[in-house]
Amino acid sequence: MNILLLLIPLSLLFMAGAVWVFFWAVNHDQFDDLDTPGLLPLDDLEPRERPPE
Amino acid sequence: MQSSSSCWHCGEPLPAGGVVHARVAGQGRLLCCQGCRAAAEWIEQLGLADYYRLRTAPAQKPAADSGNVSHDAWDSADNARHVIRDLGDGLRESLLLVDGVRCTACVWLIERSLGATSGVVSVQVNAVAQRARVTWRDSRTTLPQILQALSRTGYRALPLDARGLDDLRRRESRDALKRLLVAGFGAMQAMMYATAFYLGAADALDPSTRNLLRWLGLLVATPVVFYSARPFFAGAWRSLAARRVGMDVPVALAIAAVYVASLIEAVRGTGEVYFDSVSMFVFFLLAGRHLEMRARHRARDLTDALARLTPPFADRKRDDGTIQRVGIHELCVDDVVRVAEGGIVPADGVLLSERASVDEALLSGESAPQSRRRGDPLIAGSVLQDGPVFVRVQRVGADTALAGIAALVGRAHAQRPRLQVAGELAAGRFVMRVLALTALTAVAWGIVDASRAFPAAIAVLVISCPCAFALAVPAALTRALGALARRGVLVVKPDAIQALAECTHALFDKTGTLTESTLSLSDVHTFNGTRADVLRMAATLARQSRHPVARAIAAADAGIADAAVCDVATHAGLGVSATIDGRVLRLGRADFALSGKPLVSGYDDAVLLADDVGPIAAFHVSERLRTDAGAAIDALRAQGVTALIASGDASVKVASVAARLNISTWRARVLPADKLAWVAELRAGGARVLAVGDGVNDAPVLAGADVSIALAEGAELTQASSDIVLTGGRLDAIAYARDIARQTLAIVRQNQRWALIYNLSAVPLAALGFVSPWLAALGMSLSSLGVILNALRIGRGELPRTAPRPPAPAASAREAVA
Repeated sequence: MNILLLLIPLSLLFMAGAVWVFFWAVNHDQFDDLDTPGLLPLDDLEPRERPPE
Repeated sequence: MQSSSSCWHCGEPLPAGGVVHARVAGQGRLLCCQGCRAAAEWIEQLGLADYYRLRTAPAQKPAADSGNVSHDAWDSADNARHVIRDLGDGLRESLLLVDGVRCTACVWLIERSLGATSGVVSVQVNAVAQRARVTWRDSRTTLPQILQALSRTGYRALPLDARGLDDLRRRESRDALKRLLVAGFGAMQAMMYATAFYLGAADALDPSTRNLLRWLGLLVATPVVFYSARPFFAGAWRSLAARRVGMDVPVALAIAAVYVASLIEAVRGTGEVYFDSVSMFVFFLLAGRHLEMRARHRARDLTDALARLTPPFADRKRDDGTIQRVGIHELCVDDVVRVAEGGIVPADGVLLSERASVDEALLSGESAPQSRRRGDPLIAGSVLQDGPVFVRVQRVGADTALAGIAALVGRAHAQRPRLQVAGELAAGRFVMRVLALTALTAVAWGIVDASRAFPAAIAVLVISCPCAFALAVPAALTRALGALARRGVLVVKPDAIQALAECTHALFDKTGTLTESTLSLSDVHTFNGTRADVLRMAATLARQSRHPVARAIAAADAGIADAAVCDVATHAGLGVSATIDGRVLRLGRADFALSGKPLVSGYDDAVLLADDVGPIAAFHVSERLRTDAGAAIDALRAQGVTALIASGDASVKVASVAARLNISTWRARVLPADKLAWVAELRAGGARVLAVGDGVNDAPVLAGADVSIALAEGAELTQASSDIVLTGGRLDAIAYARDIARQTLAIVRQNQRWALIYNLSAVPLAALGFVSPWLAALGMSLSSLGVILNALRIGRGELPRTAPRPPAPAASAREAVA
């Protein structure tokens, strides 16, 4: 059962990583608008250029 | 491709006289007005003509002078303070409500055209909420320039209060998502560690490994309890501070008790821990709340349209006669303001100009435009049909009639019966009893066999954990909300499901609810000439006016007349006159059209077309019943619901609609306060009232009824106070919604009964020590699962077919109401 001592911390690390990635995504507007991005791929357009700064 | 008779930009029928030409996307196009031409040419100039290829709906017709409207008033520090947020580093941000976003192509066009504006850093458009979040560099551009760019493209934009609802909401939904995810991960991990115990494998493990598993459970459950479950603790604290026992109190108690008990076990290193149960419990509850919250937010997006009802600015006339644009809050009593044609009256006041015609449909429910003479009162929020006129301000801000209606709404909201209180109190009592029983079990076992006291008490607490109870209502509601949303029924307040299932009376508004919101031509009587000829002449004249009656006549004739029109004159409140092919024609009220010649009896209320010789034709313009109104009323009647009509409109019109729908009880010419009184009267008689409407004047009655439904295509303000919104504009969805609501209530009752039976049978066994804690946890999970599976039946089973869609061209349905 000593393998548990390796696998359990590993799984906890994975989980912490997943939570961090998800929090990052939420904080970077990825979940704010779930409607519009779903429609956008329907336009077959060239990628949008950067607005001039 | 462009049809020969409609505008390339906005799709409206082309006027007979002033067709405008423009070159867009490599071809000559026909446009209906200068506003459309300006927008189309601007879009072409930006190189964004692809918009016309991409779009799936025609654009909104821009105001005639949209390109030149000055937005400079937003530059004043006083106005900017509310709508611009300083992000630091020279960056500014604003949230704009963009009128006229109709499809993805609009999102594309706005993002491109604003993105090409110098100084704009980022643009995010939400098509569903009709909002754009714009960030710009202060040194390079200003808010007025951005608004200008938008209006040149043909969109009217209104900055929303920067510190308003939106940020609060965004934080709320982000927090909820994070808490849900942490609870989900925590529950999965805790369950994994607990599995060893459930399967008995732990017996084969040495004590130190078992201890490790307990401490790991603690490790993953701690963030769940202290982070994810914080809203429950906060809610429980709030309701206790207000001396109430809300649903959060038992939930918080159960979470705290199970967590603390397991913590003690983990520290002692003996017995069972329930970190998995507590994590799962939190996860299930959060999932239910999250779905509920999303439905609520989506419905609230639509209500922001409230801001559109009063204009943000007014044109104040200075003493020297010049016009100054000021913020609405700067208006004072006795100021004189100018209102342009199609503009909205900014404050209550009296008319200074000779005469005007205003559309007060939003406020009074009266469908036809009202004519006003010098000295007559005008109400804030009403739309001027012709103009410009001057108005002397009498009441501003909170004193206006519109604000009064809003206050009525607020008052009616305060009186709202709290449907959920009973259920919450019952759940609260239930948990109190469980806690008492737990204590009793612990004490009793303490006397008999002290070593078994704690496991038995924990088993009672876990097995009777109000999971199934807590899930019974949200699981069924969430499922019902989903099923309804697919049919275009948006439930804003979950309470409404119960009230809808129990309603006995349905009170309908007439204008815009039972009838379509635009007028239509119902009857043409010709005195002289063929029907097609007179219709063409009348439509040519009617296109010169923006009056709703004129629009109805113009819409009846699709073709473009090639007649030479000159000497066009519109006479406010009377009609239109013009010379067509050398013949002087007048269209309008009977006395105006005949200009002094003897009237023709029987056509007093009709619109007459006449020349200098005599009458040519008479037109009856009327409201048309919605095609599904009859079917919807019949379906409700079949369910035993009594239908009633209350309208601000004239008795004759209401009686006719009521007769066609077989509705025996109706009241006409009623004010919002009267409608509210009628609802109170019905409720006092024991009736449960469903109110259906779409005008602003319905808002108080919608809020005062047991449950209310608003049609989304109508004035959006009512959605602020209605429980349910019909987004599809289909009245027959009401009967379907009531079916679903009744099924939902039945399922909720089944669920609660099942939870009760489970608890009644399991708790005594646990108290007597026959159930080991792991079996209790399993029982708890299974009972919750049963509740969820049962809830999934909603909307899936055989529902009685309600109101099959009537065949479109059915004569009876299309026939107009005289």
